[in-house]
Amino acid sequence: MSNPTTQKADAPEQAPPQAKPQVLEEDDEFEDFPVEDWPQEEAEQTNGSKANDGSEHLWEESWDDDDAAEDFSKQLKEELKKVEASA
Amino acid sequence: MTSLGSLAPAFKNAYLNGSGPELAAVLTPIAPSEDPGRLRSFYNFSTAEYLSKDLSYGLFHGKSLKLPKAEQAAWVDIFAAYWEAIGEILRCEDRIPGASVIAVFNAWKKVANALIRGYSGPAGIPAWTLPCLYTVGKYMRTFAINADLEAASQGSAGFGFQDDIAADVEKNANLEEAARVINRMFTLCLSDRAPLEESRKWGIYNMTNLLFKTYFKINSVGLTKNLLRAISASSADLPPPEVFPKSQIVTFEYYVGVIHFLDENYTEAEEHLTYAWKMCHRDATKNRELILTYLIPCHLVTTHTLPTKELLAPFPRLEKLFRPLSNCIRKGDLVGFDQAMSDGEAEFVKRRIYLPLERGRDIALRNLFRKVFLAGGFDEPKEGQSPVRRTRVHVNEFAAALRVGTSTSGRSRIDIDEVECLLSNLIYKGLMKGYIARDRGIIVLSKGGSAFPGTGV
Repeated sequence: MSNPTTQKADAPEQAPPQAKPQVLEEDDEFEDFPVEDWPQEEAEQTNGSKANDGSEHLWEESWDDDDAAEDFSKQLKEELKKVEASA
Repeated sequence: MTSLGSLAPAFKNAYLNGSGPELAAVLTPIAPSEDPGRLRSFYNFSTAEYLSKDLSYGLFHGKSLKLPKAEQAAWVDIFAAYWEAIGEILRCEDRIPGASVIAVFNAWKKVANALIRGYSGPAGIPAWTLPCLYTVGKYMRTFAINADLEAASQGSAGFGFQDDIAADVEKNANLEEAARVINRMFTLCLSDRAPLEESRKWGIYNMTNLLFKTYFKINSVGLTKNLLRAISASSADLPPPEVFPKSQIVTFEYYVGVIHFLDENYTEAEEHLTYAWKMCHRDATKNRELILTYLIPCHLVTTHTLPTKELLAPFPRLEKLFRPLSNCIRKGDLVGFDQAMSDGEAEFVKRRIYLPLERGRDIALRNLFRKVFLAGGFDEPKEGQSPVRRTRVHVNEFAAALRVGTSTSGRSRIDIDEVECLLSNLIYKGLMKGYIARDRGIIVLSKGGSAFPGTGV
């Protein structure tokens, strides 16, 4: 198993010596799973201890109302003065 | 008479057990860890001259395994081709002058062809042996990739001034050849008319997945459409996807998702990728990371949602890829967004996610304008009524917001026409609700918590 050819068979995406270094991380291919099948409990869906809301913590809204609204309001007023001054 | 070593008993046992995976293990070009010398002793057991006789005797002599003559002959052919291929592999291992991966690939291709003949010809190798087809196809693809690398390195050494275009066409010559053979395997599975219990149709997803990977590698994603059409045309005769092993279906759904993704059909892409994500084995970190690489941009486009810390925590690479962008979108920080896009550009382009991520700019802009709306406060409440947000907002306020965070020095004044253009764009895309009253220079936003649909205000 320690010979060049079978090693290649094991790691098809291994970079050839003459390739650019960045090719080394070109391993973006979907891999064969080590097992053929698995029960649903071993799948991603039920990951997380709370039985039915496993996926709810994965995505969040894209806006954020908490972050320094006061600050923004102040900055906006200052900027508005400048805009009006230059208008 | 020399012996085939551990290969013959392994073959017989697999056949007697009716175990496809065991049989496929016999046909791999890698010696099993419990018998690292298997390939060498198998190769040394015969010579080209006596090969067929030796194989017939070694595999089928004795009373344990009784197969029809045609089936025996098919396996003798397959193992004869295998013997030749192992010879080429050993020559590479021993660094014999003239040995090459290209020769290994060509020899292995003959194993694949012998196997295809075994299934389609009069021998009619039974369908339970199908894992052999996948294994042989998988290694053929690997050998082809390495053969192409070898050819490229020889080419660049020998013909330094080779025409670039010609080089590009021939860059994947072996892999393209492999794709043609795997395509015949695909047809072999799909077109089998035997009753379902003993049909090669059970091999369809494995072969499709192998072809998907191959077409992606040779940059011919368009060819995957032919496969999908063929599968959908015979879907009535195929077992439903749920009864296939999850490894095959998760892989299939991942690729179908990415195919839709590349066509900019993000809704369909999201559907397939979500399915793959939910069914994927939780320890398959690499595959989960790949699914998310495409699922995250899908979510951004279709539902305007961002990945949480919990989601990205196990994937430092994705954290690095998506976190800066997500933060800028959430804050409505356009300057930061543009910076994050240009910082990540090389990686985004390489992963082919640049286009959908760029659409995040609209969401960032929506969030910025939403903050302007919130900062506008409330109109004087009418008697006895709860306060209503000020829905008439001057264009200048939005213009000012666009300047917040940009360096004031040397920054050109933001054109009001440009701001109106951005506003009408958001309105057109349904991210904002209202109209522009140009004559008065104000935006009249929708009342009653629908100025920025879906965001609660």
